[in-house]
Parts: sequence; C-alpha cells; structure tokens
Amino acid sequence: MVARKTLIVVLLLWANVSLAASPAEEGKYYRLVTVATSQAKTDSRSKNWKPSPEGLALEVSGLAVLDDHRVAVAIRKGEVWILDGVYDDPPKNVTYQLFAKALHEPLGLLKDGDSLYTVQRTELTRLRDSNGDGTADEYLTVAKGWGVTGHYHEYAYGPKLDKNGDFWVTLNIGLGLKGDELKRTLKNPALGYRQARWRGWGIKITRDGKITPVCAGMRSPCGLAANAAGDMFYTDQQGNWVATNSLHHMRTGAFFHHAEALASMNLPGSPIQGIESVPDGLPLPEAIKRFPQLKPPAVWFPYKKMGQSATDILLDESEGRFGPFAGQLFIGEFTQASISRVFLEKVGGEYQGACFPFRSGFASAVLRMGQGTDGSLFVGLSNRGWSSLGTASYGLQRLVWTGETPFEIQEMKARSDGFELVFTQPVDAATAAEVSSYTMNSYTYSYHSTYGSDEILSKPLNIEKATVSADRKSVVLKVAGMRELYVHELRAAGVRSENGKPLLHPMAYYTLNRIP
Amino acid sequence: MNRTALLIASLVFAEVWALSSAALCNETPFVAAFDRFAPHNDIELAVGGRLLLSELSCTACHATKVARLQPKKGPRLEGAGQRLQGDWVRQFLHSPQKTKPGTTMPDVLAGLGEEEKQPAIAALAAFLASQHEPYPVVKANGLVPVPFEFWDVGDLEQGKQLYHQVGCVACHEPANDYETAEAAPTPIDTLLEQLDPEEIEEMGLGSAVRPVKSVPHGDLPAKYSLKSLTFFLLDPASIRPSGRMPGLRLGPMEAAHIAAYLLRDQQRVEEEKPKTVDQSLREEGKRLFSELGCASCHTAGGIEAGGGARPLAKLKIDDQQSCFAATTKGRPHYSLDEIQTKAILAAMAELPAGKTRDDHFQVKFWMMQLNCFGCHEREGLGGVGRNRKAYFETVRHVDLGDEGRIPPPLTGVGQKLTADSLKKVLNGSDQVRPHLLARMPRFSATSVWQLPEAFAKVDRAEAPPEQKVPPPPNGFVAAGQRLLDTGCVECHPMRGESLPGVVGIDLETVTSRVEFGWFHDFLLNPAELKSRTRMPTFFPNGVSQQPDILDGSTDQQIAAIWHYLREIKKHPLPEKIVKARSQDFELVPTEQPILLRTFMHEAGTHALAVGFAEKVHFAFDTENPRLAVAWRGRFLDAQGTWFVRSTPPAVPLGKELIELPKGPALAVLAEKKQAWPSFDAEQDYRFEGYRLDPEGVPTMLYRVGDYQVQDRTTPNNDGGLTRRLTIVAPEKKDATGKLWLRANVGKSLQQVNENSTINEKHLTVSVAGGVNSVGQLRTIEGSTESLFEVEVDNETTIEVQYQW
Repeated sequence: MVARKTLIVVLLLWANVSLAASPAEEGKYYRLVTVATSQAKTDSRSKNWKPSPEGLALEVSGLAVLDDHRVAVAIRKGEVWILDGVYDDPPKNVTYQLFAKALHEPLGLLKDGDSLYTVQRTELTRLRDSNGDGTADEYLTVAKGWGVTGHYHEYAYGPKLDKNGDFWVTLNIGLGLKGDELKRTLKNPALGYRQARWRGWGIKITRDGKITPVCAGMRSPCGLAANAAGDMFYTDQQGNWVATNSLHHMRTGAFFHHAEALASMNLPGSPIQGIESVPDGLPLPEAIKRFPQLKPPAVWFPYKKMGQSATDILLDESEGRFGPFAGQLFIGEFTQASISRVFLEKVGGEYQGACFPFRSGFASAVLRMGQGTDGSLFVGLSNRGWSSLGTASYGLQRLVWTGETPFEIQEMKARSDGFELVFTQPVDAATAAEVSSYTMNSYTYSYHSTYGSDEILSKPLNIEKATVSADRKSVVLKVAGMRELYVHELRAAGVRSENGKPLLHPMAYYTLNRIP
Repeated sequence: MNRTALLIASLVFAEVWALSSAALCNETPFVAAFDRFAPHNDIELAVGGRLLLSELSCTACHATKVARLQPKKGPRLEGAGQRLQGDWVRQFLHSPQKTKPGTTMPDVLAGLGEEEKQPAIAALAAFLASQHEPYPVVKANGLVPVPFEFWDVGDLEQGKQLYHQVGCVACHEPANDYETAEAAPTPIDTLLEQLDPEEIEEMGLGSAVRPVKSVPHGDLPAKYSLKSLTFFLLDPASIRPSGRMPGLRLGPMEAAHIAAYLLRDQQRVEEEKPKTVDQSLREEGKRLFSELGCASCHTAGGIEAGGGARPLAKLKIDDQQSCFAATTKGRPHYSLDEIQTKAILAAMAELPAGKTRDDHFQVKFWMMQLNCFGCHEREGLGGVGRNRKAYFETVRHVDLGDEGRIPPPLTGVGQKLTADSLKKVLNGSDQVRPHLLARMPRFSATSVWQLPEAFAKVDRAEAPPEQKVPPPPNGFVAAGQRLLDTGCVECHPMRGESLPGVVGIDLETVTSRVEFGWFHDFLLNPAELKSRTRMPTFFPNGVSQQPDILDGSTDQQIAAIWHYLREIKKHPLPEKIVKARSQDFELVPTEQPILLRTFMHEAGTHALAVGFAEKVHFAFDTENPRLAVAWRGRFLDAQGTWFVRSTPPAVPLGKELIELPKGPALAVLAEKKQAWPSFDAEQDYRFEGYRLDPEGVPTMLYRVGDYQVQDRTTPNNDGGLTRRLTIVAPEKKDATGKLWLRANVGKSLQQVNENSTINEKHLTVSVAGGVNSVGQLRTIEGSTESLFEVEVDNETTIEVQYQW
C-alpha cells in the first residue's frame, strides 16, 4: 500500500514536467537559417491582402532543390524563381532569377531532367527553357482533365514521382459550391454528392499524360511524397469528414474519408465502385466495420498536440547528414509553423506508425520542404488565407542539423503485447526500466460529416513492464489493453538518457490500426 | 510534512519575506485613479473616498444601496488550488500588503496574535489548495494556433515586446531596459520640460505632467505558474469579474509569451495537484473562510457570503474600532494612509446628507473605477501618463503624431459615437485604429454595460440639439468621391485600400460609428472637437475650397461625403486610391505581352489572358481550346488571382469587349452537312500548352483529332486581332472526313466579301491563305456559320483577322 502511494506521487510529479520543447531548445540540435522572410502589409486573413511593398512576394508553394547552390521555388502568385547562393551561411548574397510566370497558383515544383514540373489549378505543366536564356519558353500541358469549378478551395498539389517514374497529383475537394460553380460538377445520384470531376482524389499521370485515378476521399491533400520504399503517401487536413490531420498510403481503390469525393465514383477509370451508403456519425472502428472500403490513415496527427494543418511530406534521404532520422518522413505544419516527424512500419501488409514533434519556431506557416544536397531542409513559408505562428507572412528558411544528436524516441514499433521504443541515444537503465517513467492513453475519433472530431472513447493504458535492451538503445513496453484503430499516446517524461537528459520531445502518438 | 521540509519551508518563507519587505515603499492599498487624482485635488476628496469605498470593497460587508458604491470584490477562488502557489497563499494571508504591495485585500487576520495566526493560515491555505476547477479548453482552428501545452513554450523576448506594446504598461511598470523608439516630443512636451513644478501646478497642468504610478505586480513568480498566469492573461474576467484588469485580446501564444516574460526569473514550478490534505484542516479553513467574511468578496467552495457587517449608512465616522482605525480580532484591517483615511471619512460624511451626484459625475466615477483614465483623457482628467507615453507607439513607427499612438481622448465621446459603436469598442469587437500598437482592451459586459448610454446621456445633454442627416444631394457619389480625393485620401484608407504608406482610420465604417452631427462639426473645424488633431479643416471659416462641386455649398458637400461613405461598398473608390491600387495590381503591358492564367466569366476556369502594349487583348480557353474573348483599352487587374483567397474571376478592365464564337474553330466533318461539333463531342481537342517566342507572344499548341495546331494571335494595325493557325496534318489522314474552319457565327451573318463575314455583334472575321475555296455560309437551327475547307497536305497556315 505504501509503495502504491509513492508510485502515485512519483507519477504526479512526472506528469507535471514540461512536455513541450521550446524552439530555443530544439535549436541546439536543428538550427534555423533565414534566407528571406517578410511581413505582409496586411494580416494573413485580410480580404485586401498585400505583400510587403519591398521585394518579392516569396510565398513559397513549391520547392525544388537544383544543386549545391541553387533552389527553384514556385510562389503562390504564379511564378517560379531560381535562387542562387541559398546555402551561404548567413545567406547574404542570394540572387533571384525569374524563370516562369503566369501560372495559376502552382502548389508544387519538381525538377526532372531538363524541366521543372508544376501543378497549376487546372493542369500538370512542364516548364522548359529551350533556348538556354535562363527563362522558360515552353509551358507544356502534360495533363489536365480534373474538374475546376472556380471555387477557391479546389487546390491541386504536386507533382511527385513514384518509383516507376509516374507523376502523382492530389486534388482538394470544393466547399459549398454554388451558382456557376455547380454547372461544372457531376453528381452521384445514389449518394447525393456533388463535386467536380476527380475532386478529392489522388491521381497518377504517365509521361504521355494518361490519367489514372487511384484513390479517393481526400479533403485537403496539401502534401504528397514517396516513402523510402517508393510507396506514395499524402497528408490530409482536419475538416468535414476528417477527424484530424492524417497521413495516408495512396493505393488503388482505397477510400480515406471525405465522402463527397464519391461524386466521381462512377466515372470511367474509377477503381472504386459499389458504395451505396456512407455511415455518418460512428466511431471510426465501427464505421470501418460497416464500410469496408474505408481505410484508416497510417498515422493520425492528434489535433493541437501534433499541429492543426498538415502540409508537405519530405523523406529524409540524407543518409545521416540531417541527423539520426534517415529514411523517416517529415511533415510540414501550417498553423503552428513547425515540422513533425513520422516513423512508419508495415503490420499485416499495411502501413501504420507513430508521429513525434520535431521542430517549431519557423517564421511562418510551413508549406513546402526540400532537402538540400548537404542534407539540410529548405522550408518554404506562407500563411496567407489562414493564420500561423511566427513573425513573417512568407519566406524561405533552412533547417540545418548542428551535428549534435537530440535525445529522442527514434522509432516506436507495435508489438503483440505492447510497443518497442528505439532511442537516438543510450538510455539511463534505471529510469527507462521504471514503468512510472511512461504513461499511455488511447482514443479514437468519430467518422462523421461534421468538422473535425474530438478524441473519443479515451482510455488510459497500464504499462506493466519496461525492459531495457542490452545496448540500452531500446525499451520494450508491455502494455495491457491495446485497441485496434485507436491512437496510442505515449508520454515518456521520466526517461533519461545515459547523460541524465530528459527527452527533447517525450510525446509520441502511435496509430494502432492493427496489433501485430 | 517532516521536520526538514518544515525547516526549508520556513527558511524560504523568511527569505522571500525579507526581499519583499525591502522592495516596499508603502504598505497601503493602491487604487490607480485615487492615487493619481485625489492627493492633487484633481477630484474632490469625498469623491476619492467614494472610489475607495468601492475599490477597497468596503461595501462588500457594509452594504449600501448606492449603485455606484458597489464593491469591486476580489478574484474568484474556485481554481485557487491549481492557480496559486501554496507558499504564496500562506504568505499573502499572513501579510497581504507585504506580500503583494498595494493590494486592496485587507488583512483579515490582523487581530490575531502570531500563535493564533499560523493555524488559521494553515487551515485557510488547506481549504484554498482544495479548490480546483479545470482550465478552459482553448479552441484551435485555422486562425488560432494553439500548440501543445502552449503555456510552456512562450518566448520571453516576444513577451517583453508585447508587454510594452499592447497596453500592459498603461497601468503596470515598464522595464528599465526596454527601449522605445524615440518619439518626437510634442511642442507641449518641450514647453513643459522648461517649466518648474510650481509653475506647472499654477497653470493647472499638474495632472498632465505628473508621473503616474504603476499598479504593482507583486511577486508574480512566487504566485503563479506559467500555466495559471497564461490562462489568467487570456481571460482575466474569468478570474476577476470586476473588470479592473481587462483582457488585451491576446491570442494563446501571446498570453504565453507575456507569461514567460513576467515569470522570467522563476525556477520551473510544478503546478499544485490535488493533494490529500487533512480533511479536518480543510473543513476548518472552510469555516474560517466563511466566518472571516472572505466570501463577501471571493467565491470558493460554494460558500455563501455571510450576513455582513453594519450597513454603510449606519457606520459612525468617529468609530475608533473601524476597519482602518484598529486591528480587531475577526475583522479585516485596512492600513490606509492619511489621505485615504480622510477621503473615506469625507465620503461617509456626505452619505447622511444624501448628497446626490449627477450623471456627469457617474461617468467619471466609472472611468475611475475601471481606470479608463490610464489611457484616455476626458475633460482634462487623465490620459496616458507622461512617463508612459514613449511606450505607446505607432505601427511601423509611421509618424502620425500623438493621435497615431495614444488612445483617443473621450471628451464628448457620447456625442460622437453611436451607443452601438461604443458597445463594440468596449467588448473588443470593433478595432478601428489598426495603427496603434496599444490595444483597446476587452471589458466584460457586466463591468461596462451602462457606460455607452451614460456617455450618450451626459455628452448629449451639453451638446447642441441633434443634427438630422440631410438627404443625399444630387450627384453625391461623384461629388463625394471627388471631395474625398482632395485631402482625405492622404491620411485615410477606404475599404482597406489606400495610397502608399498611408495608415489611419479606414473611413468605410465611419458613418456607422459616428453621429452625423459630430461628423459635420468635425469636418468644419476639427481642432475645436479634438485639440491638437492633425486633421486639417477643408472648410476654413465654414467655406468650401471647391466651389465647382455642388455649387460650393458646405452643407451639401458634407452631406455628399456622408452619403458616399455610407454606401462606399458599392461605389468606386476615390480616383487617387484606384490609381494607387492599380499600380500594385493592374497589368499594363509595355513592350512584351503580359500573360495571366486565371478564372474569367468569359473564358472559363482555364483562362489564359494575353495583354498587349497595343491595348488589344484576348483570353484563350485552355480547357476547350478556343479564342474566347477580346477587348481593347486596359487589360486586367491581377490582385484577385494573385492574392485574394476567394479567387474572384478576373474582369477585363477595358472596353469594346467582344465574345468570340463559342465552340471549336477547327473540326473534322465527315460530310459537309454534319452539324458543327461541340467540345463535348467525341473529337479530341487536346490543349498541349504554349510556347513563348522571343517577343514573348504565346503560340497555343493543341490537337484537333490527329491534326496538330499552333495558334498565335497578335494585335493588327486596325485595333483588331490577327490569328495565325498553323496546322500540321497527321501522316495518315482520317479518310472519313475533311478539316474545316468555322470563322464566324451569328444569328444574322452577312457576307462582306468572299472571305469575310460580319455578325450581329459587329464582329468581322476575314480569312486568308491555307483554305480551299471561298467561305461558305450555312444555316442550321437559326445559326449561320461561315465555313472554309482547310487544305493540308503536310502543313498549312491560315490567317484570320478579327475586327469589331
């Protein structure tokens, strides 16, 4: 009894330790270098938004690393610029060259061969400088054909390449369409949903422009990329039908959440058929039972805790030059001006995994990322239309690993009876073996047409045992009461490294779709 | 608690005590308006006394029916257990003034000896430690970033900035090391510098010059945690319903930044969690809380306020046992200084006489209670203290004089603003001065609901009778537009648009905010209503300087401005603003053409607009490749496409707009009688992009069936367009049909000559080269078409001229 009481006291103490790392602490490991940032004349939401009177409206919406001194960026007003000298530290002599203009809100940029590719609102475009004068003279339409009603929310993102060299593009759903916009929609009469062609879909495009719709149910798929295995993923943003931000594996026939995407279900080429009704208002595990096409995300990003609006996906291909997370995914975050980190594994043939906070304190909303040849991340910023933390409205920053390894949970893997945590540094065996160093909670979400979802059916989990590996780099937690299709939230506030340091980010959120 | 812990606790206790005592200069309650005005006779002593009766919450126990003397009362203590640190609570209970200098909380244990005090404190503290309520959930959305445990990640540098900029230092102490941008001294400042204090007092300027003392913070790190202070700053009224500490409309991170700054010297403190405390001790605390009358001012544990003490009206002025004269067991004790004592006595002396005070007084009294005077001057009283002015800055340090940095004076405000507008200002929903870094706080409705009407009543009683809004004069829109263009636009934005560099009050909402009479008089003579304003008069001696507008009638002109502004949403903005705006966003082709991909009503959602220096422009529909529309004059405004979230369609700015025939220009017809296909038909119309030539002119690339088309359109010498269609035939031609060009379409299409037709919209289309034979007219279902058979062996070029 006495022991039990002590335990509770210890628990309370640890629960009180600050769990949020400040940008300053994070900066010891990942340093921010500002290439260019600026404050707009008006606030991010103003209907009369105007860029700063000086300089370029560097609202980076696409980012392609060209070589070890240049990056190309697309900006939201519709231009592509080539910036030279961006690796300089400090970057005092950056030069700007206009490469392409008159693009309709390009939201991605890819370098491939002698061309840059971008997705405009209406098409996938190849930009080429055929005469070598430094500016594009060919604006070639690789593919178009998705519906565009004229509604602002119909953003189109990409392209990104898969392992076969095909382009991938993701298409936002329209919101509250009316008037002339409706003339450009199609309707699924059985389900009653009305959207423009392929809205809310992920599509694949061959080099010769053939479009293959792959998967559906996206709301605002602002980021897409291949993981290390070459499989394609996209991020979604909280809203109607979308409980919270999420990361999904795009594969043929998968349906993710936003039901209005089913307006295109019966078009030729659709790999999804036969959905006659969509449940609205069930807990996710129950909804999946009744609606087998509905696929859970590989990772949920619990709202507020892991951001408010997920954006780009970046695979760390630096092989260690960007720190200890090679092969993992970094996820941009708009509202909180930060970057998160994702570890994925395959269980039962499907991806699932955990997300962790990584770096906050960017000057504005993180919209795009690109990895430099030295492993550093170029981070494109723009918060117009919504709002974000930070001091600027737009710009370009670079995140550089200082060479010092943070004490972090590198990987969180599911086991049949718990989780295995792999750390970036050896742990202190005493604190890491103490079960009270950890607390866990689990919850899921409602699948419904309303905006976002609370965490529901929440339940704390009992950690029965913590076993430290011989090399002290990993810990196996024996956990009772794990539930499939629930987020398993971990606080490892009590764990110390062998040097006695607490974790830089003691939180991790594992989306346990399947127990191995 | 074991012995060691006790020892440490008492050591810490003693240490903090010594520190705070050293920092003390006085040990009397601080009431900002009293301290500022009463000792200098800016207000009558009895008025100051009344202020104390309410601000020291005397009337919480000594009830009175006089409405304005209702007590301020103290903070809610329902969450005291998690909000306040236990040690601080104990120290504060032991010696309120020493622990929090200037507090208006009396010493409720003053009458007890030390040996009686300690158990009472322990019991009260135990009771308060048991008071827990969950923190509110801060809602996040796309506009409100709420990072995980945001209270822990505030940045003290940003907090320092905010603390000194948003208005905290109107009442609280600025830091010595905070640097303000040099604000140019006003002429009156310079004058005052040269006078000695007696001269100043003699001139009746004392109040404007005297340094204003700060409302002390006390030892915040000892009192709060980051979390509890952040939540308090986010919504002070939720803890202190009195509204004396108003909310500064902080976002969650802003509150966290300021908390980080205010608690910068704090060693991380852990928030107190519910502890299992001695049940009987807690019960004893609860009993004391009730017995000592704490519940008269504080809510906690559902304890009802007790019966109170003798009503205010029945108190004896010369009572030697009063709360401030003596320390009596079971009674609160106020340590007042001489002037505070005199003031209270003077106020009480008035009471039996039932001396009534008018509404005018009432307004002033409310403003003193809420310390509106900390920022606002009214009728010569108050305003930002001279020692604090430097902290009031203008956004980006634009020089707008004091008006651009100091909150506005409130003399006559009830006559100026509509009651509704005042309400919005007070509840924080109307922010009309974006150029001030200081923010108008948000006051809770309970603390200020009577103010708007009271202002109106008082100020209008003294004003000339209300002026009726005159009817709009004929031609008021054009007149208003022109009048605003001469002068007003130099300092005022309208509808969010302005001349470069202009920051100030946007005039879009002025007619819904201010009364017409005030507006009228202010335009006639600004300085009379607002001393030292930078607003010049445009009607010297009441005479308009623009005799050609509305016959030079001053009243008509003011009426025109009023009515134009009232409807400014639907009228064009003043010319100069329109021009300034277009410099930012109007696309004006000079040498090379300018392209814009956008949404257009006339060319669809896949429009590619092309503008030329020759001032002839067109838009091409890249969804269904066709020349969609052409116009002359000005080209396009790109703001909507570039920067507006709602992506409005681009509107041609020019004139003589002509919509070109719908449907494809080229088609393969199986037979001559076949109806002209639409884009929906099976034929493949595939847009493939465009190339720019060295002149920057785009050549559109698309396919018509198996034919490749290069389509280049440029202005011709006659104000029309020349279109060159270069067609490359496939190696294997479709044997089933021939390629045709449909040049023109109309309900009544007339042949001008063999290669030229004109339709009812006066569009003349002429075709030359590359076609086989002269044009042929045919009519299908009321629509006449001019068709040309296209002869392509390998490649051919057709030249089409459009005139309208």
